[in-house]
Amino acid sequence: MKFWDRLLRIDRRWLYAIIWLVVMIPLLFPFKIKPMAMPPVTRLFNYIDTMPEDKTLVISVDYTPDIQPELHPMCIALLRHAFANHRKVGLLTLQVMGLGLGEAAIRQVTEEFNSRATTHEDSIINGEDYVYWGWTTPIITILLGMGERITNVFPVDYYGHRTDSLPIMAQLKNYDDIGIVVSIAGSSIPISWVNFANTQFGVPIGCGATAVSAADYYPYLNSGQFTGMMAGMKGAAEYEQLVADKFDELGIRWELRRKGTEAMSSQTAAHIAIMIFIIIGNIAFFITRRRKK
Amino acid sequence: MIVLVLGIFGAAAFIIPHPIVKGIDGTMRNDVLRIITAFSLVLGVGSIIQHHLIKVRRKAEHWPFSYVTLIALVASAIIGLFGGIDPASPGILPTHIGGFSFHMQTLYENVMVPLAATMFALLAFFMASAAYRAFRARNLEATLLLIAAFILMLGAVPLGRMLIRPLPDFAEWILTVPNTAAKRGIMFGIGLGSIATSLKIILGIERGWLGGGGK
Amino acid sequence: MSADPWTWIAAILTLAVFSFLYKENPFYRFAEHLFVGVANGYAITFYWHRVLVPSLINPVASGEKLWLIAVAVIGALYFTRFIPKISWLVRIPIAVMLGYFSGAYIPRAIDAQILQQLRATIVTRSMFGNWQFGLWAVIIALGVIATITYFFFSAEQKGILKPVSRIGIIFIMVGFGASFGYTVMARISLFIGRLQFLLGDWLGLIH
Repeated sequence: MKFWDRLLRIDRRWLYAIIWLVVMIPLLFPFKIKPMAMPPVTRLFNYIDTMPEDKTLVISVDYTPDIQPELHPMCIALLRHAFANHRKVGLLTLQVMGLGLGEAAIRQVTEEFNSRATTHEDSIINGEDYVYWGWTTPIITILLGMGERITNVFPVDYYGHRTDSLPIMAQLKNYDDIGIVVSIAGSSIPISWVNFANTQFGVPIGCGATAVSAADYYPYLNSGQFTGMMAGMKGAAEYEQLVADKFDELGIRWELRRKGTEAMSSQTAAHIAIMIFIIIGNIAFFITRRRKK
Repeated sequence: MIVLVLGIFGAAAFIIPHPIVKGIDGTMRNDVLRIITAFSLVLGVGSIIQHHLIKVRRKAEHWPFSYVTLIALVASAIIGLFGGIDPASPGILPTHIGGFSFHMQTLYENVMVPLAATMFALLAFFMASAAYRAFRARNLEATLLLIAAFILMLGAVPLGRMLIRPLPDFAEWILTVPNTAAKRGIMFGIGLGSIATSLKIILGIERGWLGGGGK
Repeated sequence: MSADPWTWIAAILTLAVFSFLYKENPFYRFAEHLFVGVANGYAITFYWHRVLVPSLINPVASGEKLWLIAVAVIGALYFTRFIPKISWLVRIPIAVMLGYFSGAYIPRAIDAQILQQLRATIVTRSMFGNWQFGLWAVIIALGVIATITYFFFSAEQKGILKPVSRIGIIFIMVGFGASFGYTVMARISLFIGRLQFLLGDWLGLIH
């Protein structure tokens, strides 16, 4: 019986070591898995895939470095989807700390496309195919102002260019020209998009949420206020799979690193480890409690 | 008084779509609010500097580390303000020594991102330890919570589908039906609460934001 | 293995933070303090270059909107927070922000979070086009009522309220369980992300 007592009082660092190994080993030796997209992810993908050609996809990079591992793969997947589909993209962020992540994402994906481009049409050009408005404050200025005139909200883009001088902005005046805004965030910012942009201007809102807040957002999916949603790294992996299928369909055969998918073996192993922790913890607890009685 | 007037105006701009109201509202958002909010950074940065200066002066515990914060703050602000944000938008100061560049975006990607992301990654370990020590199926409610959590955890990963084929769909059902009902119920409570708080602020009933007892 | 010195710096900082798992130590403390400093420097950079310069300095310098100087004076009252004698003046800019935001928030929040959610809860005949969806809609509606009953009438649970709020707590527990399960997923993802960096970008073991 001492065994259970000792098990309950195990040094936390042993638990830490187990988690470390359980996550690391499957990253090095992954098993082959193909993520299956759930309805909220499929709905978002289909909406973006089939929205009218003259409409722009807007990605709001509303996450910060702390939760970047969960959400950054979503941003990458959305950009790959949009550019493979020849969609125009507008990027912005409602958080000053998210600015650099937006820049890192757009730089990575444009390099992926431009390093393989052979013609001007295949290239992704700043100011023509996409615009990175960057950030301004307060969020209400952005959320309401974009319904009137985007160039008033963002007089200069992230790189310091005057936005009214960018060719893409000629057809991108306000929410009327936007097909959907996908807000990727770890806070309640997607709800602010619903409150202000969707409620007043009727622009569809998609959401990329950390798994922590995803469960809280289902009422908005149910009411249609969110068009679709990606939940955590799993949601990112699902979207990555849909984009990979799309690449196949378009005949694009590139080997691109998919960080969400790559993580799924470790994610599986870690979930099982945590469940075993809870089960052993409970068994030990109930056995020692019964003995004390 | 200021709060009341602006509060009524903020609401009026939504309800009255008159061009004059809209014009004033646009100026309010694009000029007035933007500039005033920009100055609010003073509160955050000022407090950090004040806090660390006091620590250094009083030689409080771990005070030498306060120099790390202060030096990093000043150095990165100088790089950002005068050195430029990235190679595409250079400033007046050089941000590279030979092939080694240190502009703002480089600092961001290689200092801020790893530090912030790793600090949050520690939560995985604390959560695992807490799950082992504190998560007990003591009664029906806790057991129910645990069962739902297990279904979600298994259903979320590809193994779930391999073990029990309909498990991911069942996990999705839990999210879309009972979870939606519970979260919506809670949301109505919170929604009404925050609207009430906003109203109280406008009407001057809620004065907590004034700080202290309000002189 | 990466040849980029910055990747090495990032890896060392990552390991410095992870060292906290063993025990608190000067490397972790250094990393923590460094983050606070750089993050504030970063914020200062963008508040200046992307807000104050295009929206205040340029329009005033060109003589286009000189009245913005008055707004800047109100904004500058934030500095009074650090001058004890006149620190009460800081309330003025805060009042402007809070007032407008509260006013703008109320009507939209009532619409988005109450009316539209209420509309989605009401069971209509069209929902029964597919009997399954109809059934789920009924369960959601009952669950919402039960949850609200549990929250608002928790003090006096008598008669019909008692079983209804009991059902409410079942819904709430399932909802919290879903959140907990997903929170586990989230926390693990954050750690996976750091290992992807260490093993992939730094050591080159994942491609």
